[in-house]
Amino acid sequence: MRIGLQLPTGDLDLAARADAAGLCAVLTPGGVAGVDSAAAARVAARTRDIRIVLRVRLGVEHPVTLAEEVAVVDHISAGRVVALVDTADLDPDAAAEDLALLRASWSGRAIRHDGPRWRVPSGLMGPGMPTTLAVTPKPAQLDLPVWLDGTAAGAGLPVLARSFAGADPTAQVQPAVDDLTGDLDTDRRHVTAWAEAGATHLFVRQPDGAGVDFVRDVIARYLMPETAMPHLPRIVVDSSPPLPWPGPRMAPTASREDGLDG
Amino acid sequence: MRFGAGLWCLQATATAPRHHSTAYRQLLEDAVALEAFGYEGMWLSEHHFFYDGYCPAVLPAAAAALAVTTRLRVGTGMLLLPMQRPERVAALAADVATASGGRLDLGVGLGYRDVEFDGKGVPRAQRVPRQRAGLAALRDIAVPAGATIWNGSATPAGVARAGARGQGVMLSGANPLTLVRELAAAHREGWQEAGRPGGTRPPVAALRNVWLTEDAAERRAALDWQRASYVLYAGLGWSVAERDSTPAMDFLSDPGGAIADAVATTIIGPAPAIVDGLHEVAEAGVDHVIFRVVIEGAPQAALHHVLRRLADEVLPVMSTVEAS
Repeated sequence: MRIGLQLPTGDLDLAARADAAGLCAVLTPGGVAGVDSAAAARVAARTRDIRIVLRVRLGVEHPVTLAEEVAVVDHISAGRVVALVDTADLDPDAAAEDLALLRASWSGRAIRHDGPRWRVPSGLMGPGMPTTLAVTPKPAQLDLPVWLDGTAAGAGLPVLARSFAGADPTAQVQPAVDDLTGDLDTDRRHVTAWAEAGATHLFVRQPDGAGVDFVRDVIARYLMPETAMPHLPRIVVDSSPPLPWPGPRMAPTASREDGLDG
Repeated sequence: MRFGAGLWCLQATATAPRHHSTAYRQLLEDAVALEAFGYEGMWLSEHHFFYDGYCPAVLPAAAAALAVTTRLRVGTGMLLLPMQRPERVAALAADVATASGGRLDLGVGLGYRDVEFDGKGVPRAQRVPRQRAGLAALRDIAVPAGATIWNGSATPAGVARAGARGQGVMLSGANPLTLVRELAAAHREGWQEAGRPGGTRPPVAALRNVWLTEDAAERRAALDWQRASYVLYAGLGWSVAERDSTPAMDFLSDPGGAIADAVATTIIGPAPAIVDGLHEVAEAGVDHVIFRVVIEGAPQAALHHVLRRLADEVLPVMSTVEAS
């Protein structure tokens, strides 16, 4: 199981620390009115490798507009986005239609959609308008990953689990979210239980008051190894870290990644 | 006089192909360079459903550029306001403004391409009332968060309305200086007739085609980059209506003539020639000049070269000049 980090706020330094510590992904905070594309864009600009799980809340905007924003963030991040589509207040039929239009917008096809909620192209501008539409740019990724959240989630895509019972151990991808306590033994048992329940990507939330190095010194040092293989020989995590290079500081980005900034 | 550069449209075109991710990576590199050179602003642009991937979501792009800088302002020139839901776009703009410490210049325009309105399910006939609703939401939500509103318009009535609201305007680089002068005057009159809201005259910004060089080959290349960049407008079907002393500039029905007229606005030459040209721009009533140097075919090295030279040789001379 891989471990990612929930970003409770748009804390870019925390995202950068998660990137430097090798976490698999960050989950954007879920902004006001379902607005996460700007927060995700900021994270993309300030990180290099880490995946960005971008919450896309349905029902707050035209799905084509939402699709455009996600595609732009995917390019800013050079293809690191996972769209976590939150069905929010939509009923299952409405959610299915919006989701279908979103995914069609990210396909390589010119689209035409005619449903109860949306008609694209709308035909409102009268004759002479094209009968299909290309939403551009396409995402950087060949097939943008789509996960689901919310009460109307369905469609055979990965659904975010919030409890062990909600995890499907047969799914190729089973994302989950949970909070850490800050007690190492408890958190070790907890993440191990998630792995045993079948989660593939667990997004943890730091405990309140976690120190600035919690991501590196707890999540990356203890919890990620704990779930990276069965029966971890704990001597590899309990031994002292190697001394840092005593030479001159490198450029700011490199020094942060090397952990020399403390 | 204050200075920025634009327009970053993030395209990958038929005649200057690249990966879109390259365009966005260079956007961030260019933002860092602009800030280092001492410019005040970087301006982005929005369109939808065009083959070249013209940036359809300027606020996330602006957020990224703001995240890698600390002083640079980033503007949208223009965000097509009627095509988005007012409260949501205002919340998004507020988020960008808050996170950047108030460095968002939020230029908004009506849009003009029928295919974009059709694709978004917005009747073009509703664009003005939707713009009003959008501006009201921005005033209530984004401005308190630190966003500054700018308006895009090419008509005296439109810029006068912006002036009456106490808001700045941003004028197209294709506008001849005669039209710039007319629009700047209308903006000022609109502000004065409305009782000078805000107490300080809101600024007039204008994109201007500028290239600093003494080299004949670079001059030829830069003017051809301008030509190539305006071919886009033929594809988009943009036009400037005929009015008074301003001839029509119709990229749809007369692309050759319109492109030639737009290229003819270019101020090009060594630094003294640029300074002379910018004095004329200031005399036309322009407070902020946005160098239109992000143009089709100009490689990033050429862009940074000319921006650095303009910053070193022109900006210090012009910094104390005020609009007439």
